[in-house]
Amino acid sequence: MVLKIFFPQCCNTADSGLLVGRWIPGHNSAVVLAVIHYPFIPGQVKKFLNELQSQTQVELIVLGSWSMPKEGQEGMDSFLKDLSTIFPQKCWLQLSREIGKTGFTCHVVQNNGKILQDPEQENGDGSSEKDQITLIHYDQRKVMLSQIHPLEEVKSDSEPSELRLVFQTVAQSQLLFSQDKYDDGPLKLTHWQSEGREASIIAELLKQVSVPVCFFLSWLLSLWHYFWSFRILNVRPVLFISSKLSTCVQSGHRALNFETAFSTKRAATHTDFMRKANIFVSFLVDIALGLLLISWLYRENRISKLANTLVPVADRVAKELQELLEWLMGAPAGLKMNRALDQVLGRFFLYHIHLWISYIHLMSPFIERILWYVGLSTCFGLTFALSILSDMVALLTFHIYCFYVYGARLYCLKIYGLSSLWRLFRGKKWNVLRQRVDSCSYDLDQLFIGTLLFTILLFLLPTTALYYLVFTLLRLVVVLFQGVIHLSVDFINSFPLFAICLRICRPYRLAEGVKFSVLCDEPGTPLHLMMEINPIKFTSVLQLYRAPTYSCYPKDSWAALCKKLFVGELIYPWKQKKNAKTD
Amino acid sequence: MGADSGPGIPAAVPWRKVLYERQPFPDNYVDSRFLEELRRNIRVRQYRYWSVVRETGLIAQQVSWVAIFLTLWYYMEQGALVPSAVLLVSMGCALLGYGLYEILGGAGVRERTRLADLQSAAIFLAFTFGFSPVLKTLTESVSTDTVYAMSAVMLLAHLVSFPYAQPSPPGSLSLNAALFGSVCLASRLPGALHTFTMLSCALLEFALWPCLLHRIREKAKWSFPWAAGLVCLGGVGGVGSLWPEGAVLLSMALLILTLLCPLLLVHLQRHKDNIHGPWDEAEIREDLSHFLN
Repeated sequence: MVLKIFFPQCCNTADSGLLVGRWIPGHNSAVVLAVIHYPFIPGQVKKFLNELQSQTQVELIVLGSWSMPKEGQEGMDSFLKDLSTIFPQKCWLQLSREIGKTGFTCHVVQNNGKILQDPEQENGDGSSEKDQITLIHYDQRKVMLSQIHPLEEVKSDSEPSELRLVFQTVAQSQLLFSQDKYDDGPLKLTHWQSEGREASIIAELLKQVSVPVCFFLSWLLSLWHYFWSFRILNVRPVLFISSKLSTCVQSGHRALNFETAFSTKRAATHTDFMRKANIFVSFLVDIALGLLLISWLYRENRISKLANTLVPVADRVAKELQELLEWLMGAPAGLKMNRALDQVLGRFFLYHIHLWISYIHLMSPFIERILWYVGLSTCFGLTFALSILSDMVALLTFHIYCFYVYGARLYCLKIYGLSSLWRLFRGKKWNVLRQRVDSCSYDLDQLFIGTLLFTILLFLLPTTALYYLVFTLLRLVVVLFQGVIHLSVDFINSFPLFAICLRICRPYRLAEGVKFSVLCDEPGTPLHLMMEINPIKFTSVLQLYRAPTYSCYPKDSWAALCKKLFVGELIYPWKQKKNAKTD
Repeated sequence: MGADSGPGIPAAVPWRKVLYERQPFPDNYVDSRFLEELRRNIRVRQYRYWSVVRETGLIAQQVSWVAIFLTLWYYMEQGALVPSAVLLVSMGCALLGYGLYEILGGAGVRERTRLADLQSAAIFLAFTFGFSPVLKTLTESVSTDTVYAMSAVMLLAHLVSFPYAQPSPPGSLSLNAALFGSVCLASRLPGALHTFTMLSCALLEFALWPCLLHRIREKAKWSFPWAAGLVCLGGVGGVGSLWPEGAVLLSMALLILTLLCPLLLVHLQRHKDNIHGPWDEAEIREDLSHFLN
């Protein structure tokens, strides 16, 4: 068995004293946390350790002794051996440095008084059965702050690994490190911040301020919830419309995020903390981007310029649509369409466009003012601005949506009619109970009417299909644009900015493992290894800390989407019938 | 067989043709009784020539009906026939046919009431009349060649899929194909009334006539060859009035169908060599008694 001793780097040059630490249960290894210097009273040491143990839930004990040779301190060995009788342990470690050597020697005294020395020194051959000692040096600060990944063990019931236990031990004994040399305690310790505690005034101030701010914000949030619980806002049409407007969805999502981020409870686990921090940082970035946009938008009269271009653009779109319809009403691309149906459909859609143009013109005097007020909402963040843009696009292309729905419904009707009449044509029918096609003998009149309708539908299908195709393409363009906006909103909402920054600036905070390098391997001293922390990969940071988002787009695969398009079922966004019903 | 029944096999245990028992014989052993149950041509019937000819009349008259329909359509398209007159004549024919059908049906149990018949007739007329303007403009933009090709394919499909063994009621696919073809053709006619007339005719010929013919065959057997012959004559005459060479071709085709094909069937029947045995699947035997001599 190899005895592993995890030794903090900061104690390399510490004065002689007692080693305080912990034996890792179930493994043949010890973690040294600090050195208690002479002079001390053993009773006080025991009391101090007991207090710490009750506060931190770590079994802190005196592991052994540490001797740093200095002038005028000779003959310590016997004294150090005697100490083991004061602090009775199963094993007593004796670490000692010698002048002029980088490595230090280690003796392990079992409680029966047998000395276990460095094997190479004692027995040159046949030593393989003897215990070997490996000293692993670690950076106490980094190990204390780092979080090892994956966060949960794969098998929760199995024992946590040795490395995880070491990291946990160091992280949990944070209280031990709060005592520095300026404290007037009975004991003097050496650890990573014994030269003076590390802190920042800004961070402390922020910590103090955060509590009342969180209280205030949660109060505001409760007001918001109260507002939304009004009965008038929960009736069917309002609820339906608000679930379709991306601005409303985004504000709901934001409120939910705030609830997580500004809860007055302290984040208990690492995941909670990271979630809070991620939400908070993305919120700050969002607001900053929004303010940038606002400062650009409200300068040089840009709003009115925008409003002045918006109406002609909508007009232009309507004109283009009109021309498209007129082209369709002729002989588009030399296709042979049913003239009568073509005319009827064309006129129907033209009337719609006429309605649309008059609506736009009715609106045009107010558009600038509307834009001005709506633009103010950008100060809530860039995501809000993008959501509002998406909603405005949806509202301004409502006619295209209507065309699409009419076309799709008509086409869907034809496809269904044709498929069932085709079965009739072959003398079959769909058996609902057995979910299969059965043969069936129809009456003469059924056959006659069925065939008549089949012929009519078949010859009218190309006309409807063409209208459907054109309007579906238009609709897909709009959906694509909205999809890009939603993707960017989602990106801002869910991007784990804090975790990424942490990974860049403090790579040791998110650890994925460790690597060892040999410090010195002199004969006569145990093997000295240096433990360094392997930072986690960026892709795993993204995967782990990506915030969950609302997604309002269809989760269909491409094949399912194509099938839907072919059959004429409606695609995004009114497709969530099931969800709407269960609400 | 001889090689399989090798010496040294105790004759005391008789060989049985079963697989579920272990027997003291090699796996491929069979004894002399192996092919005892083989039978040859047990179900081959010797048809009589004239009875087969009589049955082919059904096919011939169906082909002739298609010819008559095409003739009628051609005259209507040329404007040589006034649609109202054709309509009146076909209505008269329909009433006549219905009367005949009722008389031949006798006093047996009726499957349908008169009211249901009237209802069906009303549905036919109303739908055809209502849809005829739509049907008229339906194939306007489709090229004439396409329409002709589609109707030709559909009428051929009608002839191929017609249930000659059981012509009443006409099978779904055959009737639908015929109606589809006639709708295609009718949409090329000059007016909505023409379309209506054409569709009514199609209905009479392809949907109602097979029912009447079936009843004639059942109840008055002697008149069936006459009826079929009459229809064939009508078809040949109709084509002849348009295109004499076509009439010659059609009559030759009909003659081959009715005289040559049965001769071939009867002649080839001698060469039949079917083997039957206990390995055959179970077979459902149709009632072919009227083909027997």
